[in-house]
Amino acid sequence: MQYLTQLLISGLAIGAIYGLIAMGFAVIYKSTGLVNFAQGEMTMIVAYIAWTISTTISGNLFIVAAGAIISAIVLGLVIERVVMRPMLGEPVFATVMVTIGLAVILRSSINFIWDAYPHGLDVGFGRDIVRVGNIGVRTGQIAVIATLLVLLAAIWAFFRYSKFGVAMRAVAADDRTALLMGISAPRVHAAAWAASSVIAGIAGVFFAITYDLSPAMFQLGLKAFPATILGGLDAVLGSGIGGLLIGITENLAGGYFGSGMKEVAGFLMIIVVLMVRPFGLFGERDIERV
Amino acid sequence: MRTGDYKQTYGELTALVDSPPVWLWSVVLVAALIAAPYAMNAYALSFVTIILITVVGTLGLNILTGYTGLISLGHVGFLVTGAYAYAVLVSKYQMHPLVGFLGAGLVPAAASLIVGAPSLRLKGLYLAITTLAFSFIINTVILEARTLTNGARGIAVQRPEIFGISFDSDAAFTWLCLGFAIATLFATLNIRRSRVGRAFVAIRDNDTAARVMGINLHAYKLLAFVTSAFITGISGALYGIYLSFVSVEGFPFLLSIEALAILIVGGLGSALGAVLGTVFIVLLPEVARLVFSLFSAQMDALFSTGAQELKSMLYGLVIILFLRFQPRGLVGVWHDLRRTWVHWPLRY
Repeated sequence: MQYLTQLLISGLAIGAIYGLIAMGFAVIYKSTGLVNFAQGEMTMIVAYIAWTISTTISGNLFIVAAGAIISAIVLGLVIERVVMRPMLGEPVFATVMVTIGLAVILRSSINFIWDAYPHGLDVGFGRDIVRVGNIGVRTGQIAVIATLLVLLAAIWAFFRYSKFGVAMRAVAADDRTALLMGISAPRVHAAAWAASSVIAGIAGVFFAITYDLSPAMFQLGLKAFPATILGGLDAVLGSGIGGLLIGITENLAGGYFGSGMKEVAGFLMIIVVLMVRPFGLFGERDIERV
Repeated sequence: MRTGDYKQTYGELTALVDSPPVWLWSVVLVAALIAAPYAMNAYALSFVTIILITVVGTLGLNILTGYTGLISLGHVGFLVTGAYAYAVLVSKYQMHPLVGFLGAGLVPAAASLIVGAPSLRLKGLYLAITTLAFSFIINTVILEARTLTNGARGIAVQRPEIFGISFDSDAAFTWLCLGFAIATLFATLNIRRSRVGRAFVAIRDNDTAARVMGINLHAYKLLAFVTSAFITGISGALYGIYLSFVSVEGFPFLLSIEALAILIVGGLGSALGAVLGTVFIVLLPEVARLVFSLFSAQMDALFSTGAQELKSMLYGLVIILFLRFQPRGLVGVWHDLRRTWVHWPLRY
């Protein structure tokens, strides 16, 4: 029983990180209609920037957080403006391949800008172990679950009540009609990329705080795919919840069937979900009219 | 004066080549490739071999992604299955190499049915993600099936000997790869001009319309998967023999990206494009190294330490730049050049 609870808790914590990255996927898919294969790499870059800030400027939690968020916004905006906007109106295949190209560039840039060794991001919090009953939990794990829940609520409110959130939904639903209504699609896209980059960056920083920073971190992006497929590519909240489910599944599979199973549990889940409910648990069914 | 390249009969539309001189130049090229081992040193010859092996794999992916329009991010999965099928059959069970090659085609083809079946309901991005998931699952399966595959230790593979002819030397192995490349090229060209190939292209252009015209979507999509996996698997076996060692690490995910980069650079949906793209992408890191080493010795050192990273960076850049500025790829450039040559000084 204790083993099971331990697996569940650590599954929830890693699941929250997957959930955050998956929300990043969904935010971009919802407003631009494409899957950003560079999401994991953006996560990694922001985490590395946060680490650089913590070692060169100050290890203060708030300075690192502010620096990471600002650099994530800049990263998202630059990618959107330089790489993605010229592809506006091109076929989906071309734009998605561009994000894959971007992904390999960002991935290998880590080794040139930083180095290939793992680092710990030290902001004076996150690695202490709190005992709940007879289970040890890291404070960083609790914090990331809390952050996911807060962000879920905030994003739900944003899409529901704010004018810009409604505009984003309008562009996602039908970009031509949205343009006729006076919504600037490029601006919505830029905002989506910036927001997605910030959400992914938060996940990266939490991962670096709780675990370690390494050039293999981009794999988080691959692990978050199952989450967003399970939740529904166009469902931001669903993706977040999907992340929690995938994290738990993965940890249970790893705990009871061995580490090989842990690696592929999520991917097996993708195939099952796509066979049964291709639009995800919370996604909208796509109806094609000819 | 000739004002265009018009096709006036159905026969011309389905001809294997556009005009007789293409045959002549192809024969010259093949003769040059057969003579290549005598004229080149071992280093240059290794590039020829790699190009020929990659051409086979790329033509395989081209059937799926180029002709049928189904994006696969997991083709390295078929590559590694083919390599393992060959290694297990030939190195472990001492079967005939030809049986090994047949297995290297059939095992990935069977695996492709498993990926292909769920993908029948999926389109575009979802399919890409399924194939991506497949390539990760297959790696774990190979690592876990230790009795068959030796797990992480891998399997050593010898150069084959077929009907008394030993392909042990580098030159002979290059000829073997050349044989496979030519056979694959003919096979894909013939598929393209047959009923099957036209059905593939119809599905790519608009699958609803294709279905209305009586094309069985499920059958043809699965057929595209199976054919593509068969060819890719054989390319994987050749690559395994070339490396003389088959392991999961020998087939990194980057190979999937490389294959898509080749198709984009060459021009999607064209066999000529697959060949041109392969030559371009395989030689790109080497050419980049030569160019940069002209500027400074420091750059040269960077290329030897961070070779893998620089390679992937180049692939990424090439993908983005080609999609942005030359979406039709090298084939597009070639067609433009040819048209300019024929019509000059007229523009059209």
